[in-house]
This record gives sequence, structure tokens and C-alpha cells, in this order.
Amino acid sequence: MATLPTNAQEAFRWTDLAALSSAAASTRGGAADAEGYWLDIVGPRILFVDGVYAADRSTPGHVALSPLTLDTAHPLGVQASGAAGWSIDLSATKVADTVQIVHLSTGAENHLPARLTLDEDAVASVVETYVGSGWTNRLTQIDLERGARLMRSVRLLQSGGFVSIRDEAVVGEGASLVSQFLGAGGMGSRIDAQLTLDGDSAFVDYGGALLTREDQRQECAVAVRHAALNGSSRQTWRAVAADRSQASLAARVEVARGAQKTDGEQSLRGLLLQRTATVNLKPELEIFADDVKCAHGATVGELDAKALFYLRSRGVNEARAKALLTTAFVSDALDRIGDETVREAFAADADAWLEATL
Amino acid sequence: MLNIENLHAEIDGKEILKGLSLSVNAGEVHAIMGPNGAGKSTLGYVLGGRPGYEVTEGSVTFAGEDLLEMEADARAAAGLFLGFQYPVEIPGVSNVQFLRESLNSQRRARDEKPLSGAEFLKLARAQADGLGMDMDMMKRPVNVGFSGGEKKRNEMVQMGILDPKLAILDETDSGLDIDALRIVGDGINRIMRRPDKGVILITHYQRLLDYVQPDFVHVLADGRIVRSGGKELAHELEREGYGAVAA
Repeated sequence: MATLPTNAQEAFRWTDLAALSSAAASTRGGAADAEGYWLDIVGPRILFVDGVYAADRSTPGHVALSPLTLDTAHPLGVQASGAAGWSIDLSATKVADTVQIVHLSTGAENHLPARLTLDEDAVASVVETYVGSGWTNRLTQIDLERGARLMRSVRLLQSGGFVSIRDEAVVGEGASLVSQFLGAGGMGSRIDAQLTLDGDSAFVDYGGALLTREDQRQECAVAVRHAALNGSSRQTWRAVAADRSQASLAARVEVARGAQKTDGEQSLRGLLLQRTATVNLKPELEIFADDVKCAHGATVGELDAKALFYLRSRGVNEARAKALLTTAFVSDALDRIGDETVREAFAADADAWLEATL
Repeated sequence: MLNIENLHAEIDGKEILKGLSLSVNAGEVHAIMGPNGAGKSTLGYVLGGRPGYEVTEGSVTFAGEDLLEMEADARAAAGLFLGFQYPVEIPGVSNVQFLRESLNSQRRARDEKPLSGAEFLKLARAQADGLGMDMDMMKRPVNVGFSGGEKKRNEMVQMGILDPKLAILDETDSGLDIDALRIVGDGINRIMRRPDKGVILITHYQRLLDYVQPDFVHVLADGRIVRSGGKELAHELEREGYGAVAA
């Protein structure tokens, strides 16, 4: 294993590096199955088993599979560069079917790079699902040219181990990147991103819901940089923590000098299902332009006792009332998934988590 | 149907109900009137089973069962409905989902078959129509962005759908204009004025009682019922004030 970051580094202070190391030290061969994770959507399906492309169980369509060397300084992301990975390269105005990718890991560690390049006005969508165990490490670089649109939904459902995701995106003029995450497995996780709104009037919506229980720790660490005029960004993150678990949300908005008329919105909210759980929130704003609007909110709380009693007074039992209110809390993030089939699948995963937890 | 005897209850160590007794039989509408701080809302919450209200003495039986032993949701399933003075907003949960979940939870608790989506929507539409609420409002998050009057009408729609045996309505008339008051009053009569049902109307004012004629009026002061009478008592209160009547 290459050198890992440490918790002494501010950017990794909440990362469960012990879980990552122990996942990496596990042995391959854990039981895991990709079936049941494919959604009823037309388009290519790609299965990676321990980071290796499973050709006999995939229909790649417009997805290319080849070694990718990607330039990054990220300490986890860099470990995926050079390995065999996947890429999508869409020409101008091309609208491609939704790509589904299942990352199945059976133990130990695996690293995989990906590159998504969308030329002018091209439209792509990707749904990724992580299942199994072990340390699953991913680096994804995204380049959206003028007017291109990428919709991406990622669910982390590994029963154990650790998933680390590093996204690096450059969003061009009038282009749009919408990416939503759901962490509803038993693994530790880190969703790490550096997203740059590079062209005027670019749009980024990057957020999700992290659900943790027992001794699990999940986190996001996202930086959105506004480097051009008129950009809009949305970061809506919800964390639900039960038992002794810890969910951490660190989200940063940087507005570069001259990035006037920026409209940034950041909403980080945590819900503690028990008082032994922890939610860390770290909203950051760094603004070097004077004509900008950056709304931000960060709150941690418990379920509203008044709402709970209201539901119970109408006949709903305690566990179900808590589940309904928690689902509503999480839906702020999951409702941002545009495709109904994907949205419903993610909501069902969140419901299953709640059912098992409450 | 409901029998309250010598009920004492406190919140945060402060005694609010100080020996309240009241009996409600099927087919009866009881109005409970009284000044602010008399314990009217506390009575509603204690009967509804809200956490934080501690009963220190006395008993409450509902349809032969010890009500105070039951969880709030079990009370609802047994046929008790609490109409809230301040209905709660629940962002992210639609009215339809909330009510279907409520009704089917009650039905399951009573070993009845849950209603299908279509059956439920038909019932919801009929009840919403009766109270002048359109289905668009029913699909919106529970009480979010509703005016005071809309929230109270929504309470009545819920009551119509859940079809309780006993309704305790806490200041259902507050915040209503004249038209809304009539709609809500008509709703209460239509849903609850039945030989097998009972109503406790908690109110400050006489005006709702013009629409929903009570069989009994009680004056609650300092945690006890200090006077009971027929509907003429409400007029006397309106004329002379609580101070004179409760003294």
C-alpha cells in the first residue's frame, strides 16, 4: 500500500483511516453479489469485480475500458491513476443512455480510475453502486465542455470495508454537473471532491445523504470553486447518525477574484438518532469577489418531538414515526436526483437502512 | 365512553390539573371553557398521551380500558382523536402519505385490513371535499405553508378520515374567520354528531358553539371543573366573563 494521509492533516481529520487500513488488510473472497443492484434502465452495464472489468457480465456500449493515467495530487486518488479503468468520451450534442456501474469488492484493496469527457452540449448520465467489502478506491476526472450536462448518482452499499471516492471536475460555460450520493451501507467512506466552475454560468449540484450506525464513520469533503462569472452551485448534504457512529460533512465554497454574480448555496444538516452518535459539520466560505450571493446553513439536531407526537397521536407507532421523519429529512438531498427510477431505488435503500436501524 | 376521575397532572413539576373529573357518554358533545392557564390544553395533551405530562393521581378510562396505560398511538387506534390547537408542520411528508400511514397503522393495530392506495385516495377525496380542501393541498407537505384556517380544516379532514369514537378538539376555532368557522363547525357535526360518538370541545369563545351545539358546558379554572351546565352556561360566560362565573 502506498503512503496514506493521517488524521493529523486537517483535510483528513475525520477520516476513518483505521477502517481503511483494516479493509485493505482483509483477504479477497468475501461473499458479494451484483445481482439485484441493476436498475430497470436502458443502457450499458459495467461490472467491476475487485476493480477488474468483468467482460462476460457487462455490456459496455459507449463506455471504453483501458488503462488511464490521470494527473492528480490527491493522496488517495493518485493511487488509482495508471490502473485499468473506464471512460466516456462523448462528442458534441450526443445524448447517451444511462450507464450503470456496479463496483463489487470481495476484500483487500482495489483502485480504479475513470474519465468522463463531454464535448459541447453532450448529455450523459451515470449510476454507480458499491457493494461488497474491502477498500475500494476510485478517482474520477470529469471535463464538461460548453453546455454539456452530466447527471450522476452514486450509492455506497458495501456491507463493510471502506469506499474512498475522489472526484475532480472542470465545468465549462453553461455546463451542468449534478451528482448525488447515498451512503447507506456498513462501510466507512470518504467522498472527496474538487469541483471547478471554469466557464461563465456553469452549474454544480453536488450533495447527498450519509447514514451511519454502530461504530461506522462516513464523511464528505467537498470543495467547489467558482472561477468564472454567474456560476451557481448547490451543496445539500444530510447526515443521519445512530448508535456510536460518526458522520462528517465538510463543504467549502471558494469564490475567486472576479467571479462576480456567483450564487452559491450550501446546506449541511445532521440528525442524531441517539445522543451517543456524532455529526461533524464544517461549512467554509472563501470569497474574493464583492457581488456574490452565498447562502449557507449548518445545523445538527434530533427528531422534532412535536412532530413525533403529532404522528403518534394519529396512530403511527414510534419506530414508524421516526422512520417517516428521518426519510423526510434525507429526502432534501435524495429528491435532487432527477431520474425517477434512480430516485426511487435510492429512497428504497435509505428506507431499508432505516427499517434495520430504528 | 370516557370517564375521568380526580385527575391530577403536572409538567416540569408544576401541577396543572388539580382533581378534574368528567364523564362523556356516547352521543354527547361537551364544551370545556375557561380562561388562559386554566389547564384546558393540558387536559387535551394528557388525554392524548403527550410525553412530558405526568399524571400524579386519578384515573381515566376510555371504552372500559385504562387510557393512561396506553401509548399515544394505541389511544388513537382505540378511537381517540386529538385536534391540535397548533397543528405541526412536517416538511418532506405529504398529507396523503401522513394520513394513509396513520389510518393503516390504526387499522393494523385493530386487526383490520389496510386500505389500498386507491381506496384511501377515494376516502381522502370525499373528506377533503367536505371541508373545501382540494387534493393539491392534500399532496403538499403536512401543514407546511398552510394558513391558520387551512391547518384547522386539515385537522378536520384528518378526523373525517380516521373516523374516531371520541374527538378532543383543542381550540379548533382559533384563527378561523367566519366562513371557515362555519365550514369547520359543519365538519364537526357531520363527522362526529352521531349516537355512537362523543366530542370534547375545548374553547375560549362561545362562537363555535353557535355551530356545534353542546349538550353540556363546563367551566375549567385552576385545574378543576368549577361549574357545569347546559348550553345556556356558555352564553352566561360570554355575558359575564369567567371571573364572575367561576368565582
